[in-house]
Amino acid sequence: MSQNPETDFFTFFTLPRKLHLDTSALEKAFYTLSRKLHPDRFAAKPLAEQEAALAQSSLLNDAYRTLKDPILRTQYLLTLEGVELEEQSKTATEAARTSGIEKKQIVPPELLEEVFELNMQLQEMRAAKKMGEEEPELRRDLLAAKDAFDARMVETQAELETLWTQWDAALEAGDRDAQTKARDAMVTLLNKRSYLRNLVRDVNEALE
Amino acid sequence: MAYSDKVVDHYENPRNVGTLDKSSSEVGTGLVGAPECGDVMRLQIRVNPETNVIEDAKFKTFGCGSAIASSSLATEWVKGKTIDEALTITNTDIVKELALPPVKIHCSVLAEDAIRAAIGDWKKKNNVTETAGVAVAAAH
Repeated sequence: MSQNPETDFFTFFTLPRKLHLDTSALEKAFYTLSRKLHPDRFAAKPLAEQEAALAQSSLLNDAYRTLKDPILRTQYLLTLEGVELEEQSKTATEAARTSGIEKKQIVPPELLEEVFELNMQLQEMRAAKKMGEEEPELRRDLLAAKDAFDARMVETQAELETLWTQWDAALEAGDRDAQTKARDAMVTLLNKRSYLRNLVRDVNEALE
Repeated sequence: MAYSDKVVDHYENPRNVGTLDKSSSEVGTGLVGAPECGDVMRLQIRVNPETNVIEDAKFKTFGCGSAIASSSLATEWVKGKTIDEALTITNTDIVKELALPPVKIHCSVLAEDAIRAAIGDWKKKNNVTETAGVAVAAAH
């Protein structure tokens, strides 16, 4: 990407790094800037200016797409705050290896157990389907599980919004400790959420 | 992205899929997950109490081909090793053996975690104290 390294998406829209965000205002700003950066307006301009406008325009699109989505926005903020979501597991494993102390799993063990058990059921269901058998009991279990996980996805969203509020307040107060606390809680929550999301997807597939 | 032949081989013919008796004192169970992709992996070992040699290993993984291949390979590698030897296996070894691309490195991390978690569980069951680097077997 040919963006100025100092321009993060929040800065691009002259927004504070807050997570509660007026998405309709964001949309308006996006359309205004889109028009300003439209290639037609630069057709008669020197090539360098055309290219700069194109780069700005692509940054605009990335910034808008990221910030309007609640999860992408949260993930993006966490990255800006130094969290490496993709690397967290590897880093923790390396720490465990050198210290000889057992790695603390990022995801709560109860959730892992649940995920594992549900995956076993899903597998059974798929196998039964392949044999052309209907497993009404299994199907009922999975439907119940689906409802439970759907509900938990909704809960997760509410929990996330609570953490947004904590983050925004800490940012405003300049309270670094509270910011770190909110940041770490968001990481944990997003990790949990990726499991729930996969489960919902897999259960839906199995029920089709 | 194409999987390497070794990944495909382990994926199509996974070694040591299955379950060991979780309640046995000789069995250590590790259940680990990678939040990056939502994969979950269970690896179990059965340890000879006289020699501390891992005599059997089983796994069950729900995840992508690389995660399955990594755990399949991990069970192959730990078998016949002592607890201490098994702890020297790192995710880098797995990456090399399976030629995993960078985006799949977390699968190998998961397999290393699973080995460590299974050994940790076995140690806990058998009152083996956890020390940096060297494990000291306590009388049991």
